[in-house]
Amino acid sequence: MTLDEAALDVPVRITGFVAMDPAERGRLSGMGVRAGAVITKLIPTPLRDPVECLVGPQLLALERRLLSRIEVEAA
Amino acid sequence: MKKRVIALAGRPNTGKTTLFNALTGMRQRVANFAGCTVEKAVGEVEVSGEDVEIVDLPGTHSLLPETEDEKVAFRFLSECAEEGADLLVLCVGEASNLSNCLALTAALKSAGYPVALVVNMIDEARLNGVGVHAESLSGSLGVPVVEVSARHREGLDGVMELLKPHPLRADLTEALDFRTASKSRLRDLQEEAIAKAEQAAAAGITLPSRARLRTISRSIRIDRVLLHPIAGPIILAATMFLLFQALFSWAKPVMDLLSAALAALSEGLRARLPEGMISSLLCDGAIPGISAVVVFVPQIAILFTLIGALEHSGYLPRAGAMVDRALRPFGLDGKVFIPFLSGFACAIPGVMAARTIASEKRRLVAILLTPLMTCSARLPVYALIITAFVPASYRPLGLNGQGVVMAFMYVFGVVMALLLALALKWTRLYEAHPSPVTVLPPYRVPRAKELARYVWARCWHFVGRAGQVIFLVSLALWAMAMFPRNAKLVGPLEAKAAAVQAEPSSPDRDARLGELKHQAAAARIEGSLLGMTGRAVEPVFRPLGWDWRVSVAVMSSLAAREVFVGTLGTIYAMGREAGSSEGLIRALREAKKPDGSPRYTIATAAGLLIFFALALQCVSTIAIVRRETGSWKWPAIQFSCYFVLAYALSLAAVHLFA
Repeated sequence: MTLDEAALDVPVRITGFVAMDPAERGRLSGMGVRAGAVITKLIPTPLRDPVECLVGPQLLALERRLLSRIEVEAA
Repeated sequence: MKKRVIALAGRPNTGKTTLFNALTGMRQRVANFAGCTVEKAVGEVEVSGEDVEIVDLPGTHSLLPETEDEKVAFRFLSECAEEGADLLVLCVGEASNLSNCLALTAALKSAGYPVALVVNMIDEARLNGVGVHAESLSGSLGVPVVEVSARHREGLDGVMELLKPHPLRADLTEALDFRTASKSRLRDLQEEAIAKAEQAAAAGITLPSRARLRTISRSIRIDRVLLHPIAGPIILAATMFLLFQALFSWAKPVMDLLSAALAALSEGLRARLPEGMISSLLCDGAIPGISAVVVFVPQIAILFTLIGALEHSGYLPRAGAMVDRALRPFGLDGKVFIPFLSGFACAIPGVMAARTIASEKRRLVAILLTPLMTCSARLPVYALIITAFVPASYRPLGLNGQGVVMAFMYVFGVVMALLLALALKWTRLYEAHPSPVTVLPPYRVPRAKELARYVWARCWHFVGRAGQVIFLVSLALWAMAMFPRNAKLVGPLEAKAAAVQAEPSSPDRDARLGELKHQAAAARIEGSLLGMTGRAVEPVFRPLGWDWRVSVAVMSSLAAREVFVGTLGTIYAMGREAGSSEGLIRALREAKKPDGSPRYTIATAAGLLIFFALALQCVSTIAIVRRETGSWKWPAIQFSCYFVLAYALSLAAVHLFA
């Protein structure tokens, strides 16, 4: 499943990325969003986009379009 | 021998600037990185009797830079390597989020740069129960590691020890040149660095057994309120309302006080000095010039106190995230919100507020569009034109018609800014939406000392840099309005005034004397370079329904938009007293052409309103744009484009209403 399908407040593990160019993946990796990392979807902002997520010990706001490109599995 | 250079590198929000301030104190200056407008904070500290230069580099998330700010950080390191500088890169990491900060340290080490790791905010890590083992980290990464809390000046001795010049400087000849390195090389380097960083983190960091760190849990609890679908926008609106109110209401008394003090100084000098050039230079040129600079300082101080508090508390990135979605179709992002909002008070703090935007192109777009917001200086102009030409009897839908037109002008500015933002999407200024990921730092209580330094730096920057230009242009405008002195026009009026002054004092004599002085002032402007220029450009503006008087008033309003009212008042010999706009309104309504038809019509008024809404009629704004963009190119483009747009739409409005 992808991150947009994951439930709120449930930690999941990143397994890979779908249709993402290497540069973008590289940047995400630099920010801690990489395969193996545990991510928790927390709070959608009032316009539903972006969504606040917890990745490791940091909070990130991820654009909704990105969520459907991050493959995850139950942590 | 070259000076030792210490570059502070790391991710944003790791406390680099706090460390920079703690190390350099007041020995710091702001410059730009070579070849771009990205700001570079440079400071000096004396170590072992030698001055060491410290450079605070822009924050960067990875070796694959996306924005100009990130690129210059790596470019600077490569330039230091090329010049053979005695360089040390201090990678600053946040102790509670260290695992994500180690990759840069590992990457720079692999790239051949001399690196040390500064683990900052160690006090917060203790609170979170995060254990940092400096020796293990140092062993794994192969770099010196020191633990500090820059906020509390804890552990700074360890950093000072690292700054000491070494007899054998690091060899940078083999260091990777980031300017020429291929993307795949950088990607490989980053992947290797991440693997190394993970190993180092496993060896040198112990996390608490609970799932979430204390600071993160607290931030999530706060975010459940501040990002709530209903409460979130209300709190954001209230915060922005407070900011807007502060700019208007809190700053106004201080601004009025400064204005009044300088006006009193001017009048005091005028009364003491003999009438003539020196008196006029001081009272009509220099003091108003100083006033044009100083009066903005309270607004800038208040704006940056509030922005600084929002930024340091961690709310600003969240506020940006909340409005981001709505602005995205226009090619903008949430960070333009503060500059735009500040622009309603004054374009100067608005343009300066664009500094919170990391991407150079996006910052430039914000700087270019912010002056379209209806600033407070436009209000006297709008009020004069609307009151003079929109009949009080005009009541669309039962509403006050003059109020409706005023509200329309506010909306018009915003709509034009959004339309131009859309148009800019097709230019080279467009940059794809910044990273789809924004780091939301944990909420922190802003510290007064850091905030004071932040505000002081911005106020000083404004007075020291933009202030000079504003002052000089004010003097130039004064000179244009004073010279040459047309004796044919002014002489007879001054002679009459002298004759009246010689009469015994009476209320009637004083009234006639005042009237003659106003007429002499009007004649002086008419015969001056400004008046002559007004006449010369009259044919250009005739299609808009302007005569030389309006042209002169518009030109003089370059000093400040509200000067338009004062200049028209002088030309119509209404005097400079407060409350004289009633007479001016009547004079504008009743002004006739030689053929007896009205000189100004509703069409002229509509054109003037549109013109003032769009044209960059403010030398202070031009000066601050020049300062913020680092060249005259952008203010020149901005002034020209807005002038053409203002003229074209003004002409369209004149035809529509005619």
